Amino acid sequence: MTQPVSPPRGSTDKVPPMSELPAWRTLAARADVRTLSLLGVLVALIVIGGITKPDEFLDTRNLQLVLTQASVIGVVTVGMTFVITSGGIDLSVGAIVALSSVWATTVATQEYGFAGILFTAVLVGVGCGLVNGLLIAYGGMVPFIATLAMLASARGLALQITDGKTQIVTIDGILKLGERDSYILGIPPLVLVFAVVTIIGWLILNRTTFGRRTVAVGGNAEAARLAGIDVRRQRLYLYLLSGLCCGIAAFLLIILSGSGQNTNGNLYELDAIAAAIIGGTLLSGGRGTITGSVLGVLIFTTITNIFALNNLQSDVQQIAKGAIIVAAVLVQRRTAAHST
Amino acid sequence: MPESTSSTSFTSRRGLLFGTAAASAGALLVGCTSNDTKDEKPAADSRPAADDKPGKHVTIGFAGPQADHGWLNAINDNAKSRAKKYSDVTLEITEGSNDTAAQIGQIETLINKKVDVLVVLPADGKALTQVGLKAMRAGIPVVNLDRIFNTPQAYRCWIGGDNYGMGLSAGHYIGEKLKDKQDAKVIELAGLDNLELTKQRTQGFDAALKNYPNIKKVARQAADFTVESGQAKMAQLLQAQPKFDALWNHDDDQGVGALRAIKQAGREDFLMVGGAGALSAFQAIQADNSVLKATVLYPPTMAASAIDLARALGQGKAIGGLAEFEIPVSLTLYSAVVDKDNVGQYMATGFR
Amino acid sequence: MAPEPPLLTMSGITKSFPGVRALDGVDLDVQAGEVHCLLGQNGAGKSTLIKVLAGAHQPDGGTIGWRGEPVTLRSPIAAMRLGIATIYQELDLVEGLSVAENVHLGHEPTAAGFVVRGKAAKASTAQLLRRLGHPEIDPARLVGELSAAQQQIVSMARALSHDVRLIVMDEPSAALDPDEVDNLFRIVGDLTADGVAVVYISHRLEEIRRIGDRVTVLKDGRAVAGGLPAKSTPTREVVALMTGRNVEYVFPERPTRGPSSEPVLRVQGLARAGEFEPLDLELRPGEIVGLAGLVGSGRSEILETIYGARKPTAGQVSVDGRTLRTGSVRAAVRAGLGLAPEERKAQALLMLESVTRNVSVSSMSRFSRGGWIDRGAERGAARAATRELSLRPDNPSVPIRTLSGGNQQKAVLARWLLRGCRVLLLDEPTRGVDVGARAELYAVIRRLADEGLAVLLVSSEVPEVLGLADRVLVLREGRVVHTAPARELDEHRVLDLVMEGSPAS
Repeated sequence: MTQPVSPPRGSTDKVPPMSELPAWRTLAARADVRTLSLLGVLVALIVIGGITKPDEFLDTRNLQLVLTQASVIGVVTVGMTFVITSGGIDLSVGAIVALSSVWATTVATQEYGFAGILFTAVLVGVGCGLVNGLLIAYGGMVPFIATLAMLASARGLALQITDGKTQIVTIDGILKLGERDSYILGIPPLVLVFAVVTIIGWLILNRTTFGRRTVAVGGNAEAARLAGIDVRRQRLYLYLLSGLCCGIAAFLLIILSGSGQNTNGNLYELDAIAAAIIGGTLLSGGRGTITGSVLGVLIFTTITNIFALNNLQSDVQQIAKGAIIVAAVLVQRRTAAHST
Repeated sequence: MPESTSSTSFTSRRGLLFGTAAASAGALLVGCTSNDTKDEKPAADSRPAADDKPGKHVTIGFAGPQADHGWLNAINDNAKSRAKKYSDVTLEITEGSNDTAAQIGQIETLINKKVDVLVVLPADGKALTQVGLKAMRAGIPVVNLDRIFNTPQAYRCWIGGDNYGMGLSAGHYIGEKLKDKQDAKVIELAGLDNLELTKQRTQGFDAALKNYPNIKKVARQAADFTVESGQAKMAQLLQAQPKFDALWNHDDDQGVGALRAIKQAGREDFLMVGGAGALSAFQAIQADNSVLKATVLYPPTMAASAIDLARALGQGKAIGGLAEFEIPVSLTLYSAVVDKDNVGQYMATGFR
Repeated sequence: MAPEPPLLTMSGITKSFPGVRALDGVDLDVQAGEVHCLLGQNGAGKSTLIKVLAGAHQPDGGTIGWRGEPVTLRSPIAAMRLGIATIYQELDLVEGLSVAENVHLGHEPTAAGFVVRGKAAKASTAQLLRRLGHPEIDPARLVGELSAAQQQIVSMARALSHDVRLIVMDEPSAALDPDEVDNLFRIVGDLTADGVAVVYISHRLEEIRRIGDRVTVLKDGRAVAGGLPAKSTPTREVVALMTGRNVEYVFPERPTRGPSSEPVLRVQGLARAGEFEPLDLELRPGEIVGLAGLVGSGRSEILETIYGARKPTAGQVSVDGRTLRTGSVRAAVRAGLGLAPEERKAQALLMLESVTRNVSVSSMSRFSRGGWIDRGAERGAARAATRELSLRPDNPSVPIRTLSGGNQQKAVLARWLLRGCRVLLLDEPTRGVDVGARAELYAVIRRLADEGLAVLLVSSEVPEVLGLADRVLVLREGRVVHTAPARELDEHRVLDLVMEGSPAS
């Protein structure tokens, strides 16, 4: 066999029906049960919000608010999903967001205006991701340790740059983007960025060779290597991608908060990991879902929103958040168990 | 984060000496003649010290937490520039740390170096009590700054802010502004709920509002002193409360985010009062173009005063303006309200 | 019939998974003190059956009797309490714990209910190991430091540490060398002499002849024959029952004309210090070359070094006269090399993925433009490649983990077929593949060679190397001791070479 097998033209792929399961089950199995059960959790939350605060919760402005608040952590989570799918972890995302937002809002950077801030935020994010990637892929460091080191250094550097001060952004073009005048057809620009990042992330993970390699590396790195995939280079790219997402998130955060502060992005790493895992991405790698991750983020943001609207205090919020994480995962497991 | 006890009463406050209002009134007088005040330098160093005549040389050890946000940063700056003012003071300043064990180690090093007086702003007052006791037993007087030790035996003198009083001042200010309004609604954007001081501020605020039966606090959410959390929590509060009359925000740092959320929501139908005394807040109050009309001080100048106290202790002097021979054991600072009328005189104390 | 009631009776056991009926009314009866062999192709239901027996799966229907009493095996612990122990093919030991700790895991000897009596555990472990003929294993050593064979002994010691009446052994000889297999059989003999029953699963018919008492053959979730006498039932009959066909180890015909063209793969002086000595090797299109040798003779290391997965300490590999960068899998794959590694699950397969994605993983660039995958083309190509190899089921969308070992191996071959590879390196291609499927794999490999592929084959089964390869290199302790056309060798000769290092003419 010296010639590669050529695919038969116009071949279709009809999957035989999965035995005698009822139609909805087959449908559910195809649309990924986990995703459906997450949607169920989200709908339940919306019902709760609608019952407890009908006027404030079921309101266009509130929808805009929830989506806006989800944007920053959402973009970070998309990057995190890739890293976790590849069997890695990135603990430095919050610190990179802090460093990017701080570097991009120094007096010197602000002199270059809108573009200067955007460029710096993204570049710093990618730079940190590059360091992570090089340490992990070519330095042979465990992702947990390498990104933990990055967490510490990036936070430290952010503190050094700000000297503990809050850096106020004075560029109107940036500030305006967070305000209602800039909404496009009622959609806040931040939400648009989030949506675009999500869609691109979904396409990359599910429709490109890059996504396939990510899944292969996470599923079985040795098999991927022996199949001819450059595992190290793939790992490098993945941490770069996570860094890029952090840079974009930092820019969104600058728009949202009108400032840069070294405390930005506090505990983003945990929120992003939690959202990805709840969404159905395997912490051990080999399976990842952008849709699930985004639903995870939306669930968290909606919970926070409902609590705030009902004026529940942070102690209650934290307890309930923990309970809902457990509930969401249990619901998922049950549904998944019934359908496989 | 400032953390004093709620036991502070009105009587003790009346007895204090370094009330910021009084001190900064003096600053106005001297500030005009002083040439060396640079832009970024905290204003406290342009004010007259307790006793400005050079005396016996004093080495002061200073240990504070990591200056990772505006107020704490201002504390360090105030201490440093104040010490620089005195030719007879050497300041041994440690690298700030939020880690209790690390801070204990730093203070022990200072004790071993045999500094004359210690100024300590503990990362955690309770956890550092033992090392305070150790210094006192070694014969080194300790000036405990803001976050108070467990026992008075661990310090010679405590100076700090008044969180309960801060809430009171904010409540009274808002109460007076709204006293003629029927069914007035007030909301509160608190700081980090894990800290005792946040609870104290809220208690003071609630206590003051009790004096005004027409006012009701309808909502409270806690942010965590960061701009990001201020924006997020404020945005939610604004959505939850379509109509209210006043807002008290505990901290001007998170207030930067809160103001962004207010602007983003396009709301301007209420009065906002801040807390702590950041420069950006002062500027906004002076410009009078936003909802922020006042802020309640939690003055970082207390660090400069602590240096004065430490110097006086080291030289065995009393402090002027008081009949006592000895330096008082406890000094609680007054939380003044800064609004458009008096913002000018406070501008220089604002921290970034 | 036996005079006393059987130790175990399973009747009418059924078990379904979505889309698969794994067990379709299986009957099995086991007497105390017998070795009852379970035969069947991969996917016949053996694994499911022993999991039911171990309490790990709950059957959908059927009854289980234990010493004449009906029982329900709700959990592995329940099965263990009755005295049923299972030694799985994939060992389930904790590598970070010592031998003694593993043996007593879950039932540690304790004082006052919770203080582990380490000394007592070690003493009883040492006793078990002596009984198993391996007194050299130190109970205090970490299991992760032991060889695979030793780990198997530990696994067995763990089973025996319970008061066991029935032991299930799932392909216990797969990872063992001949003398270790002898020891295993001695242990099995001791156990049955004590009245313990053994359910023994193996692909190797000759083993079943040696130690088995009775045989039950499974096919497609049914017991097609139960309780056949193991020693006297003709092989032909057993194979016929398993496969439904009358075939045994059938090797395809060698082509009459030898390969004539230029070598595609040339290995010159390739060596890895401590693993194998400098090796020269030429491989022509259409040729199958076999490497025969014992475990540890450097066979796998040679393949992996040629493939670039290990960096050689000397020598070079060239394809079509172009020298490959050493130690680079990617260079090797680009030049047209493909490896089907020894440990399929650990080294080749993406177990969470479909067959399609496992097949396409090495040639994604062929279905993509600018990184964008044309999934229709990918599916089509994967389907064509798997059809070419008659992979079952004929639906590449199914998860690869649902396939039998032979079909998983075909998926790995399809991967390289699709890539258009020119030199195929096969490391133990029929490990874990049942007899019927082996013949099919042999035919596939020969056909690929006939179509112009060069194949380098490693196998510990001498008949396989002799039957399939054109030329054989005999390895002993990292050194090639003999090279000859396969026709000129027989099994005895090869074994002599392998053991002695010289032909005992």
